[in-house]
Amino acid sequence: MTSRETLAQLKAKFGPAILRADLPADNRLLLYVEPFAIKPVCQYIFRDLDARYVISIGADDRPFSGQFLVAHDFAFDRDRILCSVLTHIPADKPKVDSISDVVPAANWAEREIRDMIGIEPVGHPYPKRLVLPDGWPDGSHPLRKDFAWNQVPEGFDEEREFKFDEPPEGCMVVPFGPFHPTLDEPAHFRLYVEGEMVRGCEYRGFMVHRGIEKLAESVLTYNEIPMMAERICGICGCVHNVAYAQAVESAIALRLPPRAEYIRTIMLEIERLQSHLLWVGLACHIVGFDTLFMQSWRIREPIMWIAEKISGNRKTYALCLIGGVRWDITPDIKTELRQLLDKLEAEWKPVVAAVLKDKNIQARTSGVGVADKTACKNTGLVGPVARAAGVDIDCRRDHPYAAYDRVDFDVITADGCDVWSRVVVRATEVFESIKIIRQCLDRMEPGPLQADIKDELPVGRLGLSSVEAPRGESHHFVITGENNRPRRWRVRAPTYQNLQGIPAMIKDQQLADMTISLGSIDPCFSCTDRLETIDLRSKAVKVWTQEELVKMVKARKA
Amino acid sequence: MNLLQPILLGLLNIVTVLLVAPFCEGLLRKITARIQSRQGPPVRQAYFDLLKLLGKEDIESGESPIMQRVAVYLSLATVLTIACLVPMGFSAPMNGAGDAILLIYLLTLAGVCTLLAGLAAGSTYSLVGISREMMAMIALEPLFAIAVVVGAVHAGSFRLDTVLNGAVYGEGFPLSGIVMFAVLLLSFQAFVQRVPFDISEAETELMEGPLMEYSGPKLALFKYAQQAKLVIYSGLFVTLFVPWGNGLAFPLGWLVFWAKVFALVLLVTLVAATHARYRIDQAIRYFAGLLAVALVALILASYGY
Repeated sequence: MTSRETLAQLKAKFGPAILRADLPADNRLLLYVEPFAIKPVCQYIFRDLDARYVISIGADDRPFSGQFLVAHDFAFDRDRILCSVLTHIPADKPKVDSISDVVPAANWAEREIRDMIGIEPVGHPYPKRLVLPDGWPDGSHPLRKDFAWNQVPEGFDEEREFKFDEPPEGCMVVPFGPFHPTLDEPAHFRLYVEGEMVRGCEYRGFMVHRGIEKLAESVLTYNEIPMMAERICGICGCVHNVAYAQAVESAIALRLPPRAEYIRTIMLEIERLQSHLLWVGLACHIVGFDTLFMQSWRIREPIMWIAEKISGNRKTYALCLIGGVRWDITPDIKTELRQLLDKLEAEWKPVVAAVLKDKNIQARTSGVGVADKTACKNTGLVGPVARAAGVDIDCRRDHPYAAYDRVDFDVITADGCDVWSRVVVRATEVFESIKIIRQCLDRMEPGPLQADIKDELPVGRLGLSSVEAPRGESHHFVITGENNRPRRWRVRAPTYQNLQGIPAMIKDQQLADMTISLGSIDPCFSCTDRLETIDLRSKAVKVWTQEELVKMVKARKA
Repeated sequence: MNLLQPILLGLLNIVTVLLVAPFCEGLLRKITARIQSRQGPPVRQAYFDLLKLLGKEDIESGESPIMQRVAVYLSLATVLTIACLVPMGFSAPMNGAGDAILLIYLLTLAGVCTLLAGLAAGSTYSLVGISREMMAMIALEPLFAIAVVVGAVHAGSFRLDTVLNGAVYGEGFPLSGIVMFAVLLLSFQAFVQRVPFDISEAETELMEGPLMEYSGPKLALFKYAQQAKLVIYSGLFVTLFVPWGNGLAFPLGWLVFWAKVFALVLLVTLVAATHARYRIDQAIRYFAGLLAVALVALILASYGY
C-alpha cells in the first residue's frame, strides 16, 4: 500500500475528522486530525492497519499557532511509510485523550509529554512522573517555550526522594542500580523478589537527564546540533548524528551527494560492528564467561583504530552536517579498511562457531528474558530484540536511508524470543555489516561531500527520520524553525522502547537472569556524573555537588 | 621429642599452604590471562595484592562488625587447621590427632564462615548470596563426606592417615572408589568456588555477595582463606584419589605431590576460563545428580565393591 492508498483508506473511515494530510514524499504521511479523533485514528492505524508504534511527541506551538501540538508517529514497515498523526490542542486546555490503553507502547512517551510540555493525557493507565524528579514543582514544564533553558523553577527540592509504589505482599525488595557492576549507568530498578524469583519491578530512570532537546531548541544552531546529538550516546552516537541530519534534510527535502551517503553508511556500519562486538563481550561477562569477553574486545579494537584514522576519534565521529559529511574515505583508508574487514571476518567466524555450539551459554540464555511477537507489537520493541522474536523489521531495509537502498544484505531473524536468540542475531549481523561496508567501498565514486545550501532553511516543516542503530530503530522528529535552529526536536533512542519491555521479560524469572535479560536489550541510559577533586598538597578531598558544579560552570561563562 | 615433631610438621604445613596459596592464585590469573590473549599480571602480583590489602585501613561496616570479624578469623583458622591434618607432600602430620569425621566437620565449618560473613553484611545482595551458598552447601558437602566414608569403609578405619592414603581404592580398584573419583572431579570446581560455580559471589549479579562489606585487611584474610582452600582441596583430592608416588622418599615424593596439585590448579583454571556461570537451580540440579551417583557408590562400598 502506498501512502496515498493508506490516506484514502483513512479518509474513507474517518472523513471530516481528518483536517489535512501532507504527503511531502512517497514514504511520508502527515495526518492532521481533530483532537477528539486522535485515539480512534491511532487505534485504527495500530490495530487494523497493523502499523508499528514509534513515539509520541508533544510541542509547545503557542508562539506560532497559539496552540499545543501532539504527534504520534507510526511506521508501516512493509509499505515503507513513516506516518505522523498530529493534532493541535487549545492553549487554555492542555488535555489530550491518552492512547496508552489501545497502544500500550505509548505509556512512557505520554508521561514524558505530561512532564515536559504539560499536556495531560486523559485516561492514562499509570500517570506517574517519568522524567521530572519528584521534587520538581507542579505546573512547571521545561520544554515549554516560556521556560528558559537554564532556569531552575522556584520551589525545586533536589533532595526529595522518589515515591515508590508499594511492593506486593510477601516480596522482598532488591534495589538494582543506580550503581551496579553490570548496570554501568544511572537507572534504578526496584525488584520485587520472592525467594530467587522476580515477581515484578518498578523502574526509575532519567536521573541525569541532560536537557539536550531543550538546548537544541534554544541555544544551538542547525549545524551545532549534530555534534550534540552524537553525545546522546557513547556507543551509538553516530546514529543520532545521522538521524538528526536526515530528519532536517527530510523536512527541507534536501538531496545528498551520493559519496556522502556512502560514507554515512560506512560509518554507521563501522559503529554497528564495534557496538555488536562490545555487546557480545559484555553479555559474556554478565554470565561469567570472561574469556569470550576479552576475546571479542580484542577483535573489536582495530575497528576503533580505523574509526580514529577516519574521524580523529575512536568514538564520537562528528560525522554529519546538514547536507553532507565532514570526513572523506581516502584511498589509503579504503585499502586499510578492506584488510581490516578480512581479518575481522576471519577472526569472528570461529568465535561465532564456538558460541553457537556452546551448550553452557545456551543453558544460561535459552528461555530467558522472553519477549514474543505480541510483546514486541504492544511495547514497540525494536532492533535485535524484535528480530530475535521473529519480527522481521530493519529500518535499513524498510525505511532505506543513506546508501542502504544500493547495497545488498540480509536481515537476520530468529524465533526463540529469548536472550539466546538475541545473541545469535547480533553475532550473525556482524557478517552483514562487513558485507555492507565492502559493497560501499566498491561502489563509492568520487564526488563532493557536502550539498550546497544557499538559502535559509524554510520554517515550520516537519521531518521524520528512522535510523537502524545497533540496538534498534532510532527515530528523530524535527520541526524546523527560526533563528537557524529547529522549533522542536524529539529523539527516541531504541532503548526508550526496549526498556519498557523489561518488566514483562524479567517477571517470574530467576533473580540471576535479571542482569542478562536487561543486558540482552543492550541498554543505553546515557550518563554524566558528579566529580571529585583531591588537592595533592593538603590531601584534602572534596566531593562536588551538582549545585556547586552548576555554579562553577555559570561563573565561568559570566 | 615425639610430641614436638607432629606440632612442627603441622606448622610446616601451615607455612607451606600460606606460601603456596597466593602462588596458585597468581598462576591461575596468569594462565587465565594467556587464554584470554592478555599479558596478565606477574605471578607474584597475588602476594602484593594481599600485602596491599593488609596495609589498608580496617573499616568496620555492615550490620554486625563483630560477626564480620569472627567470620573472617574463623574462616582462615579453620582452613589452616585443616592444613595441619592433611598431608602436604609428607606423611600426614599430627597423625592420629583426628579422624575423618573431624575433617568433614572442619570442611563444613569453612563454608559456614561464608554464611556468617553474609549475615554480618546484612544487605539484600549478601542475603541472596548466602541463601545460594546454603543451597549449594547442602548439596555439595555430602559429596566429600561420602568420598571420605567410602575410603573409611575400604580401609576399615576412620583414622585420617589411613583414609587419606588413597584408601578409596583399598586393595585393587573397587568400583565405588572409581565412581567417587569421577564425582569429585566433576564437582571440584564447586568446592573451590570458581566459575561456573562461583554462584554465591557472582560479581555481575550479587556484587561479591557475602563478601560485599569486606575491605582492607579483613578482605585480605578472607581472600587468603579462599586461596588456601584451593590448595587444601587440591591436596585432599590428590591424597584421596591420586596417591601414587606420594610415598616416595623426600624430595621425589614431595615433588610428585606438588606437581599433581599444580596440575589440578591448571585444570581448575582451564574449566573456569571456558565456562559461563550456572544459575543456582541449574547448579543444584547438577549437584543432585552427582549426589545420587555418590550414594550408589556408598552402597557399593558397603558391599565391598
